[in-house]
Amino acid sequence: MTVKKYMSPVIFLLMLALLTACSDNTEGGGEAQDDNSTAATKEIIYATAKDINDMNPHLYAGSMPAQGKVFESLVENTEEGIKPLLAESWDISEDGKVYTFTLREDVEFQDGEPFNAEAVKKNLDAVQNNADTHSWIKLSTKLESTNVLDDHTVELVLTEPYYPALVELSMTRPYVFLSPNDFMDGETKSGVEGYHGTGPYKLAEHKTDEYAVFEANENYWGGAPAIKKITSKVLPAGETTFLALQKGEVNFAFTDDRGADSLESESMNQLVEEGEYQLVRSEPMNTKMIVANSSRTENAVSETEVREAIWHSIDRETISRDIFDGTETPAETLFSSNIQYADVELKKREYSLEKAKEILDQAGWKEQQSGAVRTKNGNELAMQLFYDNASSSQKTQAEFIQYSLQEIGIQLEIIGEESTSIANRRATGEYDLLFNQTWGLAYDPQSTIAAFTSDASYLHTTSGIEQADELYKKIDEVMVTTDENKREDLYADILTTVHNEAVFIPITNGSVTVVAPDNLNGISFKQTQFELPFEQMNFKD
Amino acid sequence: MKMLLNLRQDKIGFLSSIVIFVTIMLGVFAPFFAPHDPNQVNMSLRYAPSSMEYLLGNDHLGRCILSRLIIGIRPSVLWVLAALGVSVLIGAALGFLAGYFRGKIDTVIMRMCDTMLSFPGYVMALAIIGVLGVGLQNILIAFILIKWAWFARIIRTSVLQYAELDYVKFAKAPGIKDLQIIYKHLFPLTFSDIAVIASSSMGSMILQISGFSFLGLGIQAPNAEWGMMLNEAREVMFTRPELMLAPGLAIVIVVSAFNFLSDSLQVALNPALSTGQKRSKQESLSTEKKEVLMK
Amino acid sequence: MAIYMINRILLAIPMLLVVSFLTFILINLSPLDPAEVVLQAQGVPVITSELLAQTRQELGMDKPFLMQYVDWIIACLQFDFGHSYVTGQPVWSLLAPAFVNTLKLTVISSFVIIILSVLLGVLCALNEGKLLDQSLRGISFFLTSMPSYWLAALMVWYFSVKLDLLPTSGMGSLQHYILPVIIITVSYSGIYFRVVRSSMLNNLHQDYVLYSRACGLPERRIILHIVRNSLQVSVSVFCMAVPIILGSTVVIENVFAWPGLGSLSVRAILGRDFPIIQAYVLILAAAFVLFNALSDIINAWMNPKLRNDL
Repeated sequence: MTVKKYMSPVIFLLMLALLTACSDNTEGGGEAQDDNSTAATKEIIYATAKDINDMNPHLYAGSMPAQGKVFESLVENTEEGIKPLLAESWDISEDGKVYTFTLREDVEFQDGEPFNAEAVKKNLDAVQNNADTHSWIKLSTKLESTNVLDDHTVELVLTEPYYPALVELSMTRPYVFLSPNDFMDGETKSGVEGYHGTGPYKLAEHKTDEYAVFEANENYWGGAPAIKKITSKVLPAGETTFLALQKGEVNFAFTDDRGADSLESESMNQLVEEGEYQLVRSEPMNTKMIVANSSRTENAVSETEVREAIWHSIDRETISRDIFDGTETPAETLFSSNIQYADVELKKREYSLEKAKEILDQAGWKEQQSGAVRTKNGNELAMQLFYDNASSSQKTQAEFIQYSLQEIGIQLEIIGEESTSIANRRATGEYDLLFNQTWGLAYDPQSTIAAFTSDASYLHTTSGIEQADELYKKIDEVMVTTDENKREDLYADILTTVHNEAVFIPITNGSVTVVAPDNLNGISFKQTQFELPFEQMNFKD
Repeated sequence: MKMLLNLRQDKIGFLSSIVIFVTIMLGVFAPFFAPHDPNQVNMSLRYAPSSMEYLLGNDHLGRCILSRLIIGIRPSVLWVLAALGVSVLIGAALGFLAGYFRGKIDTVIMRMCDTMLSFPGYVMALAIIGVLGVGLQNILIAFILIKWAWFARIIRTSVLQYAELDYVKFAKAPGIKDLQIIYKHLFPLTFSDIAVIASSSMGSMILQISGFSFLGLGIQAPNAEWGMMLNEAREVMFTRPELMLAPGLAIVIVVSAFNFLSDSLQVALNPALSTGQKRSKQESLSTEKKEVLMK
Repeated sequence: MAIYMINRILLAIPMLLVVSFLTFILINLSPLDPAEVVLQAQGVPVITSELLAQTRQELGMDKPFLMQYVDWIIACLQFDFGHSYVTGQPVWSLLAPAFVNTLKLTVISSFVIIILSVLLGVLCALNEGKLLDQSLRGISFFLTSMPSYWLAALMVWYFSVKLDLLPTSGMGSLQHYILPVIIITVSYSGIYFRVVRSSMLNNLHQDYVLYSRACGLPERRIILHIVRNSLQVSVSVFCMAVPIILGSTVVIENVFAWPGLGSLSVRAILGRDFPIIQAYVLILAAAFVLFNALSDIINAWMNPKLRNDL
């Protein structure tokens, strides 16, 4: 029983495999579209890399695009500034400490419970009872009490004036409203019993790690949305999503709330070329960056010079051109200059490996032999960079940067992890470098900067720099000052300090990308990069 | 020697050994054979098609795919081979101990084996990666932890069988040292069994390690590994399917070679087996069950 | 027989204990302090050492190691595997649906594998050495040499994209099962088919076959007899197919976005979610031990001679 005669079928199969793999791949399923059943029924099925998770809007585990559909805040942040949402109007007392809101009277929670001042108080109190968790939102540290004045009037009393209060009240979480019937023992911090908000969509069905179905809220105070059904389908990013889009199993994809695109630009372009899809990109919304842990004294990353050298060795032009196909532009500063208060003169650190090497040499990191890892006092110049394993562009950038750093004698280990694990690392300081992004128009600069002092965010990033205490004092000051000129000066100081310390190493300015069916109208963006106004979309006939 | 002779007569076995030999040589002298630095990034060549200079084209960072394929032999094949070697060594040592001396040692070793074997291979590997973190060496550690028990068990069985042979028994009588008996008489006899098992599990190990790398749990950048190359190619699978081809075929060819070799070895070493000579039910059952569990 | 069964089950219990103990130790080797992680998950901003000590006490971490193990195993027996570090949900509520999804896939695949490998194994054994036998063996060798994810990618591309016959990923309708089941079948049936074939051959050369032929029994009856005998030998092997495939669907689930144990565990690893990893390892190892016992019992039931062989 030898194997002599096996060979002919084996060779045949091999040929077959080769043939199928090689043959006309270019048309790759262009004709696989003829029954786009999802488009026919006018629903949106979007691909997402992770489950919607616990939708409790007073905590942070849930998916923000999903929460944004179901829950609403008192006010809305728009391009033209703060606009009414659940509150019709508001007054701010002269000392800036008391905010009085008049609520809309025609609003009901999705379980039929009326939305009134009492509900607002219960929600705000529930959030404040867990204030530690929300320390990144400075309002949570300054909100003294919430008082019901009458059925539809509510007043918020602050301990001191705080200029971004309305902006923070407009955010997707935590100051949004859940039906008090869903509270557990009057609280929300250890879980809720349901997810009834006031928003245009309600959660109809959820199968963990498979899908979640949102149905239109026919009683929505702003009018029932045109698209009656939105499904969020969990799909691994990359080719699975691409295929599913091509086949019409999903018909919508967008940049997720951690800034990762489920498709790389080439695949997106291919989908558009095939004719069934359109690609819509928002204005630049954020800055994608590498965050350096300045407080990690055991690693060289805590040295300003090393961080500067890394900054100089990143070729942003090439990243923008080749990895992002020009869809993102190189970023030289933490905030682009069109952001309020961010138009500050900062020295540009151009891409130059020579310059980087020079800085390292001066800092005492010597190259023993060419091509080797630099050392100082017997320590190797080595560090780790964490990236989101769902984002192929982050991985490619990480590999690209790894190579550049190797050229200047820094050994970079790159590690892909789940986005939640990376968020955990950011909070605990267990990292040298990690990918991150500023939080978008609604949050920049005030929330991102406030987050410099928050343990859950960038405390570890900033606390190692020399003038940290002074920096934190200025950050506290800038949030409460009512003098516009002083505010500008303080922001300029803060931005200059973190720029000089090179703790936030900018890479590109990112935007939100939407891949949607060709016949979908009304695609627009919000001021936050974390949610989309689905209620404004409709299908052309 | 006879084994090699037998093997020579079997063309497929012969061909397989040549493929394996060439692969190993390519891997050992990879820097010499690789036309370019496998980690040389060149963004202007991103996804460049095959050319005279870069025979298999370039990947998403403009690196030479051919060079990465060649350097990738090291983690994909050589390190797996090394892990296999270590687990065979441990397994052989313990298997000989247990099978030759019997008694308490035997019981203890076999209980240890049983315990290790209660963890399915994949699960054990995932557990170890989970605790120690992702990386090639952790998967190799997991492999060694799992496989030694199999080898110990199988080697023990064949030692038991051969220790009953008359001339081994005779050798014991005049007081020849145990070690000498094992080395001179038992080892050559059991060697063939070891070779067959080792070569047959090699194929599945290569597949598993590439699978883990494919999931992003294995080797970390910038090192090249075939499963990792497939993972990278998967991102653009439907826009550039040709990238899936080279690493995939490399795995298929090498794994096939190991599988065919193992089959030929089995025939060459134990002709009786293939002619379907009588074996007791129990015996055939136990070997078959083992063979299946090894995968 | 009953005695054998009881003995075999009793034998599985210490094994389960050892396995669970090993799992417990393994996860305790992890570099993360559970107390710290729990506090972080609750979003406590400043973790003081008092708070840490208090949480340790709440978690029972101040007890002796063995006591911790006992607490843990008792909790596990009540399906309380703790809470996910990442989402804070109970591990069981995440694990149970994933387990069911993987089990569905596994059982269907095992079924197909068994039918296919019995059919092919018998066919090949009866045509031993002929072209059919040779080609089938060659093909099976070749197919088992393919990385399953690679094959899966090719098949998705061909059947889902080019021919537009099957869904690409996820689970739902029966159609979603087709591709994953095919891939698992392809990667495993080669092994099982060889087992059936060789045990058939083994039987074909037994004396009783010769004897029956000599007595002039009709060939069909002889073959049926051989098939029955050789299947007996293979039953225990097939029994193990379920736990083995259960533990190795990781890659396939990933390719097809199957919401099962494999996807869950890979995500847990990449998210450093140790309670999930721990529960996953424990459940699969337990399944392995139990199925092993089951296969021995079935085997003993079919081959009374083995019953003394504990």
